[in-house]
Amino acid sequence: MAGIELLSDQGYRLDGRKATELRKVQARMGVFGQADGSAYLEQGNTKVLAVVYGPHEVRGARSKILYDRAVINCQYSMATFSTAERKRRPHGDRKSSEMSLHLKQTFEAAVLTQLYPRSQIDIYVKILQADGGNYSACVNAATLAVIDAGIPMRDYVCACTAGFVDDTPLADLCHAEESGGGTSLAVALLPRGGQIALLQMDARLHQDHLDTLMEAAMTACKGVSKVLDEVVRQHLQEMSILTGE
Amino acid sequence: MLKSKTFVKKTRSGGILKVVREHYLRDDIWCGSEVCVECKDESPVLEKDPCMESSMCTFPHYLIPDTNVVLHQIDVLEDPLIRNVIILQTVLQEVRHRSAPAYKRIKDAIHNKEKHFYTFTNEHHRETFIEREPGESANDRNDRAIRAAAHWYSKHIPDSAEIKVVMLTNDRLNKEKAEQTGLLVYRCDEYIKSLIANPELVDRLALTSDEKNEITSSKILFPEHLPLSQIQSGIKSGKYIQGTFRANRDNFLEGTVFVHGEGDESTEILLQGLQKLNRAVHQDVVAVELLPQEDWVAPSAVVLQDDGSKGEDEEEEEEEEEKKLQTKQVHRDSLKPTGRVVGIIKRNWRPYCGMLTLSHIKESTRHLFTPADRRIPRIRIETRQAATLEGQRIMVAIDGWPKNSRYPRGHFMKNLGSAGDKETETEVLLLEHDVPHLPFSQNVLSFLPSMPWAITEDDMNRREDLRHLCVCSVDPPGCTDIDDALHCRELENGNLEVGVHIADVSHFIRPGNAMDQEAASRGTTVYLCGKRIDMVPELLSSNLCSLRSNVERLAFSCIWEMNDNAEILNTRFTKSVINSKASLTYAEAQMKIDDRNMNDDITKNLRGLNKLAKILKAGRIEKGALTLSSPEVRFHIDSETHDPIDLQTKELQETNSMVEEFMLLANISVAQKIYDEFSECALLRKHPSPPPSNYDILHKAIKTKNLVIHTDSAKELADSLNQADIEGFPYFNTLLRILATRCMMQAVYFCSGLDSDFRHYGLATPIYTHFTSPIRRYSDIIVHRLLAVAIGADSTYPALMDKHKQAALCNNLNYRHKMAQYAQRASVAFHTQLFFKSRGILNEEGFILFVRKNAIIVLIPKFGLEGTVFFENKDKPSPKMTFNEEVPTLTVEGHTFNLFDRVRVTISLDASNIQHQKIRMSLLEPVIPGVSVPLPEAEPEAKKAKLDR
Amino acid sequence: MSPMKLCVPGERLCSTEDCIPGTGTYLRHGYIFASLAGYVLRKNEGEELPVMSVVKETETQLLPDVGAIVTCKVTSINPRFAKVHILYVGSTPLKDRFRGTIRKEDVRATEKDKVETYKSFRPGDIVLAKVISLGDVQSNYLLTTAENELGVVVAHSEAGAQMVPVSWCEMQCPRTHAKEFRKVARVQPEYLQA
Repeated sequence: MAGIELLSDQGYRLDGRKATELRKVQARMGVFGQADGSAYLEQGNTKVLAVVYGPHEVRGARSKILYDRAVINCQYSMATFSTAERKRRPHGDRKSSEMSLHLKQTFEAAVLTQLYPRSQIDIYVKILQADGGNYSACVNAATLAVIDAGIPMRDYVCACTAGFVDDTPLADLCHAEESGGGTSLAVALLPRGGQIALLQMDARLHQDHLDTLMEAAMTACKGVSKVLDEVVRQHLQEMSILTGE
Repeated sequence: MLKSKTFVKKTRSGGILKVVREHYLRDDIWCGSEVCVECKDESPVLEKDPCMESSMCTFPHYLIPDTNVVLHQIDVLEDPLIRNVIILQTVLQEVRHRSAPAYKRIKDAIHNKEKHFYTFTNEHHRETFIEREPGESANDRNDRAIRAAAHWYSKHIPDSAEIKVVMLTNDRLNKEKAEQTGLLVYRCDEYIKSLIANPELVDRLALTSDEKNEITSSKILFPEHLPLSQIQSGIKSGKYIQGTFRANRDNFLEGTVFVHGEGDESTEILLQGLQKLNRAVHQDVVAVELLPQEDWVAPSAVVLQDDGSKGEDEEEEEEEEEKKLQTKQVHRDSLKPTGRVVGIIKRNWRPYCGMLTLSHIKESTRHLFTPADRRIPRIRIETRQAATLEGQRIMVAIDGWPKNSRYPRGHFMKNLGSAGDKETETEVLLLEHDVPHLPFSQNVLSFLPSMPWAITEDDMNRREDLRHLCVCSVDPPGCTDIDDALHCRELENGNLEVGVHIADVSHFIRPGNAMDQEAASRGTTVYLCGKRIDMVPELLSSNLCSLRSNVERLAFSCIWEMNDNAEILNTRFTKSVINSKASLTYAEAQMKIDDRNMNDDITKNLRGLNKLAKILKAGRIEKGALTLSSPEVRFHIDSETHDPIDLQTKELQETNSMVEEFMLLANISVAQKIYDEFSECALLRKHPSPPPSNYDILHKAIKTKNLVIHTDSAKELADSLNQADIEGFPYFNTLLRILATRCMMQAVYFCSGLDSDFRHYGLATPIYTHFTSPIRRYSDIIVHRLLAVAIGADSTYPALMDKHKQAALCNNLNYRHKMAQYAQRASVAFHTQLFFKSRGILNEEGFILFVRKNAIIVLIPKFGLEGTVFFENKDKPSPKMTFNEEVPTLTVEGHTFNLFDRVRVTISLDASNIQHQKIRMSLLEPVIPGVSVPLPEAEPEAKKAKLDR
Repeated sequence: MSPMKLCVPGERLCSTEDCIPGTGTYLRHGYIFASLAGYVLRKNEGEELPVMSVVKETETQLLPDVGAIVTCKVTSINPRFAKVHILYVGSTPLKDRFRGTIRKEDVRATEKDKVETYKSFRPGDIVLAKVISLGDVQSNYLLTTAENELGVVVAHSEAGAQMVPVSWCEMQCPRTHAKEFRKVARVQPEYLQA
């Protein structure tokens, strides 16, 4: 009947956030011993594990080798238990290949790949629980994992989605909001320079609204970057205490 | 960012799905009170000294109603007296879930600054959020949440302020629990009754079924409605059918359920008898069960009105009527699928206008209310001001319809004024047809250009200067909203240049602002007799946009280059500035054309136009455009009393058709242009060709005259209509055209991206839109905007290019147009009544338009008036009648009435029922003993009337 | 050490006028930015300006680079070349194995045409080599041992004992005293610990 009201007159969203507020972002770096770098990140109820291997020798087809920089190989997958409906998710379906490709493009823009010619960097991300903003959570988690692996990057890559409801841009959509109709825009940003690593939108939006929506998404990305920064510094501190002893 | 977070798991079953949602609790939600010092609210809503004088609550207080109070007592809450109410989010959500209209109204109340309604987002407040306990129902949890919020408020508001919080609930359990925790709780009616300032408010209290002081002894009249779950499973299994209930206007014991099938298919199921209707009210969405085929009945052609002054206990008579209705033997073919209502899926009640029928018992506070809309059953209401409400038009809302009550129960909402009063009746008419007619709000007016207004340099630069052209407008007399003007001139190459200039309303009404929204919602200007309900504020409609003569006005022009055969060689569109040289009436223009001595520019202009128009029209008719007819009436209104003093059917002149031709041409040209540019989102107008079965009546009718009519295509229909003539019966053709008109479908607006059939049947053109009347139709404004974008004169905006938004807009426009038409007809009917009231009894000649089972419908050409002659009379034994549906004919006491028969009738005003005053017609000729009335003393009256002229 | 300054990727460290960019940094618009999360290290290395670099606690990934001395293990031999796994770059162990090739002509600097790979390496030998090229489509890293300091450092005899070098081209098994041919490195003390 009457769909859900995504934004109340008082300016509160379904889960009690205001339009520009992000979900709670929590993260930890270095959660896996055997990988070169790893991170676990929660963005609200979206939970992601990211693992980085490399740089190492290119595996598989030698034709993939790039002589001036490293190849970034991304693999995105969702756990069977990640959504409300338990579902087997075969590898390489259209959706996850596309997501993998997007991640690859994002990180090619951020990692200083030219430092490692003829090598490969693997980034594996797994959605443990999906509640909207999968792409952005993956990017944020992978950033932390790359940093953990000690692979040089230009800057963090922070991603966030923004949607458009009743002429108001909403930051960091949750699943209910994403599926509640309307357009959702995902931006991956190098926050310090303000460069956009990836911009993705797959519904129609009028041109006039694009600027406000971008603005909202970018502000949200900067919000995410603050949180990530915090996490990285904390991690460094902890590590130094450990090694200091 | 103040965010404190806890997680709440909400499971939602229905399939096995576990939905986990986050729920943030905040500590930055303010209480909204002016007295509060803790909250950092910048603009608190609740007043410092909330003053609602109540004998029970003598202290200042805020109100917190629970969900049911908001749902059922919204009429009371909307009263300006009730202020400083805290609407909890829990309540708002529940209301939203349960009733869309109530939700809208409460939201309106919240937005109204005067009301000081505050929405407290309690579900996200750290201290008022509660989790559902195991075993607790959702409703109980919500009740508890409301109590928790009320509790928080009573603690939160500083004692020094001496403001208390009063919770209103009608739920006894909830009340008890609240009292235990020390809250101030009252029942809603208790509280309202204690209000000192306004005793009248009590009447507006909705009767809730919670009050068990009903007479329980009364017998159960209706079968129980099935619960929704059962209905849903029944619909799934095909046992029940879902549809919209439509009551029969002429017979209160009959109705149909309109079932939307797949695609365009839709069927109707007939319902007969009170039991089968089972408390369905017009427009409700109901579930019906089909009866076995042997129980199927045919729709009765009897006209039956529930206007007897029966009390509650006099139902026997009705049952008899019902029997009469059912026992009639009918032909098997005419049997229709028949069913009975098993449950109501969604009520579609709205406030109804009507009048009070006083109870026979003087002291009684319960009265029956008779709605003006005959499809709505009478409603029982409780009021203590019955004496003052007698003879007044009032508004009433239905609260419910228990199974032991013959009538639904409702409550009084508003007094509109005394019945029969022109103002009141117009108001009723507008309300009943859902015509927005309130004066424009300040917000809307703020978007008007400031006066004095003049064309700026900038405007001039952007527009083509066409002030030198000899443009003139031709309109009906007294027209102040002139939206079109024409010009015609000869070009150097011998061709003609013809221009249609339309008022550039979209220049003033910018997309999205309050004025635009208001216009979009109104959809159209509504013309009633002697009154016009504008779509745009008057400054625009009658001044800035009106293309009056000898002033410079902004226009949107469509200019063609044509040769002498009216073939279009070139079309262009431009925004322009024009200066009309003359505003003529149709008659004036006609005179200029006819007067050979006149040879000024304007006249030459008109003659050129007229010549082209004739060629265009011939071409159109050749293609199969229909010329249909409907009796249109014009009133001569007394300039002082505004009473109609005479009425005449509208006359059409050549110039009418001239203007019309060019408007059609402009519309078609524009339609093509905007469709070419925006194939997905052009707003067009189509007129679907009617299904062949629509013509049955026409075929039957014409057979009686031994003529044939071809209806296979518009062209054939037009041709056969042209040929159908009977010697010595000049009006026959017009009658036929009137009948043909009734066979037609409604023309509608639609969005080109969502439809594939664009044809306009009546005009015989493949594509059509409305472009020429932006002052009075919103569709034209949209078309203007589209065209402006197409020629690069204006910029686009999101909603314009969104086909779904367009489609929604089209729906509203179609609805408003239909309603405007109905309102217009109702207004004509009312004025006709006024006219006959002043005229007394008249004898006139008429023709039979339709034949019913117990009546004939007669058209009086002189007045364009349609009326019913009943052959049954309450106080007389019914004459012997035989109805032959095939032909159709009705034989009364040996005399057979055929369609198109000429009869003489007396016309008088039947004012016995003040609410439904009607024109009564009785038969004079042919003389049938016991049926026709003797020639009354009408002649002298008529003579007198003639003398008056 | 005084508490060192933490930095994160993308952080601007200083202008190129003040420092020379070192490891873990990159240059943009005349400024030095960090590309790693770690500590800022400012070292004077005798140049005009100090070198600004970012170091991490855990050693960062290194890749074999042209000119780097690597320690590798021979995996297979054929008449034209020997295949090796690179284990260390300098003194940094690699987390991953990189494959390399020592072509026959790169085994020693003199008498290149007389080299026989079988007489130079045996599978399982630990070899010090230098990266000469990153390779092309067909090959991996190309390594060379054509220096006195490069060549086999650890080898085992057929009997399984670790052999000792006896000349620049022979090694002897301490148990059987059998001599085997190798391209032996003159191990310099600084490499000994590896």
